[in-house]
Amino acid sequence: MQKLDEIKNKFQQTQKGSWIKVGMSTCGIAAGADVVMAALKDEARKNNVSVRIEQCGCAGMCFAEPLVEVFVEGVPQVTYGAVKEDTARAIIQKHVMGKEILNDYIYKMQ
Amino acid sequence: MGYEKRIFICDTDGGNIKPFEDALNANLRAEGLVEKVQIVRLADAGIYRKGVMVKVTPENIVYIDVKMDDIKKIVDSTVKMGQAAPDIAQKPPEKQLKIVLRNCGNVDPERIEDYVALDGYKALSKVLESMNPDQVIDEMKKSGLRGRGGGGYPTGLKWSFARKVQDDQKFIICNGDEGDPGAYMDRSVLEGDPHSVLEGMTIGGYAIGASKGFLYIRAEYPLAVARVEKAIEQARASGFLGKNIFGSGFDFDLEVRLGAGAFVCGEETALIASVEGKRGCPRPRPPFPAVKGLWNKPTIINNVETLANIPYIFLNGAENFAKIGTESSRGTKVFAVTGKVKHSGLVEVPMGTTLREIVFDIGGGILDDKKIKAVQTGGPSGGVIPENFLDTPVDYDNLGKLGSIMGSGGMIVMDEGDCVVDISKFYLGFCVDESCGKCAPCRIGGKQMLTILEKISQGKGELSDLDNLRKISFAMKKASLCGLGQTASNPVLSTLRYFELDYKQHVVDKRCFQGKCKDLFVFTIIQDKCKKCSLCQRNCPVDAISGSREEGFLIDQKKCTRCGRCFEACKFDAISR
Ligand SMILES: Cc1cc2nc3c(=O)[nH]c(=O)nc-3n(C[C@H](O)[C@H](O)[C@H](O)COP(=O)(O)O)c2cc1C
Repeated sequence: MQKLDEIKNKFQQTQKGSWIKVGMSTCGIAAGADVVMAALKDEARKNNVSVRIEQCGCAGMCFAEPLVEVFVEGVPQVTYGAVKEDTARAIIQKHVMGKEILNDYIYKMQ
Repeated sequence: MGYEKRIFICDTDGGNIKPFEDALNANLRAEGLVEKVQIVRLADAGIYRKGVMVKVTPENIVYIDVKMDDIKKIVDSTVKMGQAAPDIAQKPPEKQLKIVLRNCGNVDPERIEDYVALDGYKALSKVLESMNPDQVIDEMKKSGLRGRGGGGYPTGLKWSFARKVQDDQKFIICNGDEGDPGAYMDRSVLEGDPHSVLEGMTIGGYAIGASKGFLYIRAEYPLAVARVEKAIEQARASGFLGKNIFGSGFDFDLEVRLGAGAFVCGEETALIASVEGKRGCPRPRPPFPAVKGLWNKPTIINNVETLANIPYIFLNGAENFAKIGTESSRGTKVFAVTGKVKHSGLVEVPMGTTLREIVFDIGGGILDDKKIKAVQTGGPSGGVIPENFLDTPVDYDNLGKLGSIMGSGGMIVMDEGDCVVDISKFYLGFCVDESCGKCAPCRIGGKQMLTILEKISQGKGELSDLDNLRKISFAMKKASLCGLGQTASNPVLSTLRYFELDYKQHVVDKRCFQGKCKDLFVFTIIQDKCKKCSLCQRNCPVDAISGSREEGFLIDQKKCTRCGRCFEACKFDAISR
């Protein structure tokens, strides 16, 4: 038990701030999640934005893949679906940098 | 920028939200709130056929069936005062309940810390530090968990058999073969949350006294295999696998074995043969694997989803798990909902949820708003459940009574355009391909049934064929060696039970009104209805439609390949089938 708490505490230190998760299971990748992931990372680097971009498994909404979940401080946590490369770049510019949520791409909210 | 509030809007009927948005915008403008409130249009609200949905954050108040007249009330109470507006319906409770999929789409499957941060491996540490194996098995029995691989055998009971056998070596195997067409629940769990399966297996290993486990995964799932292997390495490095786990003195390790994608290798005795490096053929039971399994040692085989439930049971207590679901079937079930449904994907619902809720409330209904014909559950071992039984609560017993099975969780939705003869032919053809050939009832019976179905779909069927199908089915059920042959006729039997009329149309009238059996229908243009728009001609891929916009059109039956593009394209229902 103690060991688990150690791992947990250490990990939680690294988990502060904004993050983006991309569904990278077979269903997501088949729909283009890898391209979306690359675009998010590229756009974040170009704009010098600090946001953790991570992968996760299938959230079940396969009809709306690729799915991108975004948490930015002060903005409701939402999941964008059917994301393409240009939407991915808009997520960095508008949502992460501008704190403005994108229209017409949200498939799930917290 | 720097909005104080956000209003999320969506028309859950799929209509145009623009007029509502404009009205809402006008109201906010009149109130001087436009700078402070962002309006966001959702693509999908996760609820369907409930009119306009409005959600206001940060209060998180959700309204449904919102009318234009309600806008002022919502802005006045919720946007200005942060309070729920009276008289407007709020969102109904969530239908899904995620236990197996609790971490899928949430954790990074390639990072063990993510899993640990969400109480991963806590169940294992609790079990090893405070329970003996008999207590673990008692807890499993209390939970009422039944196998999710198809058979529905109580997991605790199965474990107790292997526990009772004295032997120097025992094994636990995770069945990740998942061969049913349309099913991919297990793949998603292995890819999305592999550690929950490893943790479940380790708890199982401790309970029965095994020091070694295998994950049997089909090679067509390369990503699942890679992630499971990575997870095993990380668990070993953290001391959750290997020697003396959590200082308890319990040793346990895991290895992956690849399957070559044969459906029969999902059957437990064939799976064991395959892990041993032999040809994947089943053998008669008893002895059951729990007594004599892998290399003749006591072996427990559990499905991926069964195992992923186990950490949850020990974290939250068996009593709490047993409160979910129905009397005979506890907990939740994951379904892969596919076919003619608007929102295909994985759903996890408490046992006892009705098929209608799954297909319409969660799945959003039928594609193109066509009529639903039936739902197929249990894959090639299961059957169809017609529209009038959609309100049946889903559990092991109810589906069995309807002539289908729960199966591993494939759920294929069929609309009025699907032909039951065609569907039966597909499933039976699958079983004929996948039969290992060892026993005659399955090898010969399956082939004969398929021949009859092919005859029927070519218009050469006779009424006696329907009786013959039933007779051969009976023989296969009684005499086949394993579940594959015993259940292969289920799709045929259940479609015969509910849709005998469709079969008779094929046999007696020689017609397939669904337009699937190519020899049993023709497309013709109904000249009275035809508006001579030429859409059919332009859509025909084989130039089988002659004529012009002045003279009208004709289909050349010799050239026509019955693809149905003209039928789909015609806007005036002027093509008959
Ligand atoms: C032809 C055939 C295929 C099967 N395929 C699978 C499969 O893909 N996955 C699975 O878990 N069980 C499958 N089973 C059921 C297994 O034999 C076994 O009952 C199950 O893995 C036990 O695990 P459970 O008690 O956790 O459900 C299959 C059975 C038959 C007869």
